[in-house]
Amino acid sequence: MMQIKHNQYQLIKLALSKLVFIALFTPLMITACSDSSSSNQINNKIDYTKSYPPSNGGTLIDAMTGEPSGLIAMIAGESAASAIAGNIFNSLLRYDKNLELTGELVDTWDVSKDQKTITFHLKPNLKWADNQPLTSDDVLFTWQKVTDEKTRTPYGSDFKLVMKAEAPDANTFRVTYAAPYAPALDTWAGLHILPKHLLKDQDINTTAFARNPVGSHYYKLEKWKNGQFLKLTRNENATQGQAKIDNLLSRIIPDKAAQFLELSADNIDSMGLNPIQYARIFPARPDLNKNIALYKELGNSYTYLGFNLKRKPFDDVRVRQAINYAINKQEIIDGVLLGLGEPVASPYKPGTRWSNPELKPYPYDPNKAKALLKAAGYEDHDGDGILDKDGKPFTFEILTNQNKEREMTGVLIQRRLNDIGIKANIRVLEWASFLGRFIKPKEFDVVVLGWSLSLDPDQYSIWHSSQQAPGQFNFISYSNPRVDKLLEAGRLELNPDKRMKIYHEFSKILLEDSPIVFLSAGYGLTAIHKRVRGISNPAPPAGIGHNTYEWYIPSAYARNEMSEH
Amino acid sequence: MLKYLVKRIFWMVPLLIGISLISFFIMHLAPGDITTSEASFNPKASEESRQKLRELYSLDKPVIVQYGLWVKRMATLDFGTSFASHQRPVFWQTKDKDGNVTLGMIQEALPITLLINVLSLALIISVALPLGVVSALNQNQLTDRSITLFVFIGFAIPGFWLALMLMYWTGVQHAWLPISGLQSIGHENMNWLAQTTDTLKHLVLPVFISGITGLAGISLFVRNGMLEVLHQDYITTARSKGLSENRVIYGHALRNALLPLITIFGLSIPGLIGGSVIAESIFAIPGMGKLFYDAVLMRDFPVIMGILTIGAVLTLIGNLLADVAYAWADPRVRRGVVQ
Amino acid sequence: MRKLLSNPLVLIGFIIIASVLLLAVIAPLVAPYDPDAIDVKAILLSPSSHHLMGTDGLGRDVFSRMLYGARISLMVGFVAVGIATAIGIVLGAIAGFYRGWVDTLIMRIVDVMLSIPTFFLILAVIAFLTPSIWNIMIVIGLTSWMGVTRLVRAEFLSLRNREFVLAAQALGAKDVRLIFTHLLPNSLTPIIVCSILGIASAVLVESGLSFLGLGVQAPQASWGNILTDGKEYIQFAWWLSLFPGLAILITVLGYNLLGDGLREAYNPRSSQH
Repeated sequence: MMQIKHNQYQLIKLALSKLVFIALFTPLMITACSDSSSSNQINNKIDYTKSYPPSNGGTLIDAMTGEPSGLIAMIAGESAASAIAGNIFNSLLRYDKNLELTGELVDTWDVSKDQKTITFHLKPNLKWADNQPLTSDDVLFTWQKVTDEKTRTPYGSDFKLVMKAEAPDANTFRVTYAAPYAPALDTWAGLHILPKHLLKDQDINTTAFARNPVGSHYYKLEKWKNGQFLKLTRNENATQGQAKIDNLLSRIIPDKAAQFLELSADNIDSMGLNPIQYARIFPARPDLNKNIALYKELGNSYTYLGFNLKRKPFDDVRVRQAINYAINKQEIIDGVLLGLGEPVASPYKPGTRWSNPELKPYPYDPNKAKALLKAAGYEDHDGDGILDKDGKPFTFEILTNQNKEREMTGVLIQRRLNDIGIKANIRVLEWASFLGRFIKPKEFDVVVLGWSLSLDPDQYSIWHSSQQAPGQFNFISYSNPRVDKLLEAGRLELNPDKRMKIYHEFSKILLEDSPIVFLSAGYGLTAIHKRVRGISNPAPPAGIGHNTYEWYIPSAYARNEMSEH
Repeated sequence: MLKYLVKRIFWMVPLLIGISLISFFIMHLAPGDITTSEASFNPKASEESRQKLRELYSLDKPVIVQYGLWVKRMATLDFGTSFASHQRPVFWQTKDKDGNVTLGMIQEALPITLLINVLSLALIISVALPLGVVSALNQNQLTDRSITLFVFIGFAIPGFWLALMLMYWTGVQHAWLPISGLQSIGHENMNWLAQTTDTLKHLVLPVFISGITGLAGISLFVRNGMLEVLHQDYITTARSKGLSENRVIYGHALRNALLPLITIFGLSIPGLIGGSVIAESIFAIPGMGKLFYDAVLMRDFPVIMGILTIGAVLTLIGNLLADVAYAWADPRVRRGVVQ
Repeated sequence: MRKLLSNPLVLIGFIIIASVLLLAVIAPLVAPYDPDAIDVKAILLSPSSHHLMGTDGLGRDVFSRMLYGARISLMVGFVAVGIATAIGIVLGAIAGFYRGWVDTLIMRIVDVMLSIPTFFLILAVIAFLTPSIWNIMIVIGLTSWMGVTRLVRAEFLSLRNREFVLAAQALGAKDVRLIFTHLLPNSLTPIIVCSILGIASAVLVESGLSFLGLGVQAPQASWGNILTDGKEYIQFAWWLSLFPGLAILITVLGYNLLGDGLREAYNPRSSQH
């Protein structure tokens, strides 16, 4: 008996010792082989308030939830790809800090008298990262590729409007459109110029170049570890000069909770925050505030409630306006965004010239909502608390995708509609199913979605009556001949002031028609470690990201890269 | 025995076809395809280009035709290229005309998942075995009850909750372990010892989380197996023969109690390639689970079918091996009826 | 029975399950707030006398949501397991009783089902049908009957040749009678054990699905989605993670203890030490 017990104790000891071993071994492993300075305890001893002059060096680490599928932006398409590729490639033009178009690869450009031809003058002595000269041949080549039928890009339509493109000499690129096309310059600010000498014999859809690109911007790709990170390093031949930070490291961390933990442990330098992290967590955590600074800027998108205009009763403008009055937009901004957003009344960024300053969003007025609904025939005839017409209760489904803020917005809307007697149900769907099963075949009542606040005012593909086919963007089926004319005119008018008047008028009609309810435009919220200097605060219209090449990390704060994680 | 083997292997082919057919159709049940997610809802992207893409990938053809095309490719063991990841090969690497090697997706994800699962299995066994034996030897007493409670708690904890708490404790509050990822940044510059340690450090939490759920099952299994064996006649015989208790327990009882464990191993072979989507997502580990989940969301059909096929093959082989190994190991079965 | 009650773990399990069930049933009576009542002025408040478990991102009372969430999480378990057990009993009985080619066919179907990913089915269902949790439960049920089938089949195979069955057969009893009056009642215990353990699994599956965004849809509360909502604020709004996490832990534990205890007690082979 004693012997059995003794052996059992040995067994238990064995099992537990293994667990303990693992628990102890790991800290031993760390202390034995690394001089990691990644712990908060050590970090707290460093004073990040000292000021330092700009200097070169350091690595900026950020996190992405998704991984690019490739770095040729015209083919890859997803935001992770364009974000990284945007550091590697140049376009002809770019937007400056006040959101005005300025040259990137281009010095100056002229528009012909008939407004159909744009001549770009490239800067002299431009080079690719591999030291080859960058000339108008590369621009022409890129245009040919993006308009090539065989190239699998969804972005060709704008560039196909170019009737003729030529490169008369190494520094000149000329395009001629069939008709004046106002958004043209904006499109040239978004096309990454690709190297002809490396791609001319390649099939652009399958080339290994997409995973090992050569560009001309501040950085070049040093290493891409699938599923783990992408590292960009300084491009000595950068066309725009030299950035101050040596390396950019983007770690792929799909879970936002894990990202926040990494930020807290000082393993990443920057992260996009949600309103709760910005407004509630940071203020409550002095240890985080000590080392991390918060930045706020006007965001790039707006959230809206869209009606399926082909379904009754949403074809009745009174019903749409009623719902607009019934929704308390400030409550949505306060509840979902914790006050970190602004109401919008048009699809343009507030403060820019395209945004009509006279327009104000519909105020919260449930009585007016009820009156409008009554005029449209909706009243609570049977006393069940729900409005009805012709015996049918006013009930419908609100669809949205798996986005926390949209979900919460939907819930708030549901409640307010309930207050005036409309029974709305919310349904949250996975993205691909959402598009394939509901949006494309137009099988929906109402959606909560977002559009970007465009920099170029052209909204043709979203609001023009010709864009209603399945798969196109006017999926709410909006059709207004006056709006159609304005949108067409806006594309032809290159004079900014005249253009502005056109789009102000367009916004006014849109607001009256209320095919969608503008809900909110959230702020962009970012947390960046204090070691990164040179960030503009407050942010200019273009956001804090407009001058990332001027950011610097003083060497006193640089991480010890070998052991860092 | 041979007849049995042949019959089972013969059955595998129609089974595989059946599984792949059903999987293929189920895959198409969920609405949307690669073109509905890629670059969609960017007003600059046009419908015609999406239509072209659909034609290129044969997505506009009837499902049965698409299945036929897939089978034709698989017959030459060509798993195809991914829709979503810029034509990366699904299974094994390819070399293009300039000598650039593109690594296969499964080729990269599978070893990671295998490593985690094997380590996890090793952890489970090394802890569950002694726990199970001790439980059995102390049936219904405090030790047994405590162990049972302990392993059940391990099973009942929601994995991602425990993961986040441990990540916070070991990574943020104290800098003992990395929080997420597979390797540290300067990994390539380390010598092989430091590299191994680095990878292991990153795997501690994921392996622990995976293991703690499986602990309950195996330790209870061992416990019950031991109990069943300990009450058999031959154990009493061995004791009465005067053999030491140690020899009785470990030499006879344990060995026989572990026989059913072989079945468990066989059945867990297909599980070895299945990564936990949740664990991989939280810990940012690019394994098979995440690969499959992303492929599902993106409707990346070649990748999905590739993973399902490998999984099905392994399941069938694993089942067969388990049955055969058990038949071989159990002398009663080996000599007598095999079915 | 005495054996069952002599195991303190079973007692603990039973108490846990009974308590959770009770709370779930009387939720509407006990909940201090409407679980869907939004209050934008009360966002993310820590536990206090006003809100026992604090509030969530929309100012809703977590305690009330937890109570209603108990209903959802348990219901998912019951319905899913109910479906799985029903299918499993039918198929397992047929396979175990008739053997031969029927048995082989059913077992091969089991093999096929084991190779198909449930995940897909769940995605497809959420997209196509009305997204009530019923459909998720049905899908979980439709994809987890394999274990019960195997179990029932094994029991039937072994019981089939026992004397009492052979005797009944000799007396001319019809197949149906044999199955329902003789074989099934004697296989009941492993089925019950399997079901209880299945409920525990289903609760965990629901929380996993919520993590992936595929679980119970807003604005309905389930433990899984309360836990998921709070995961980004785990260092700050600890109450959003702690309470549902503990609830899931304790409930699943309770079911496991009970199920395992049952198995212990009725296992004829594990006699006293």
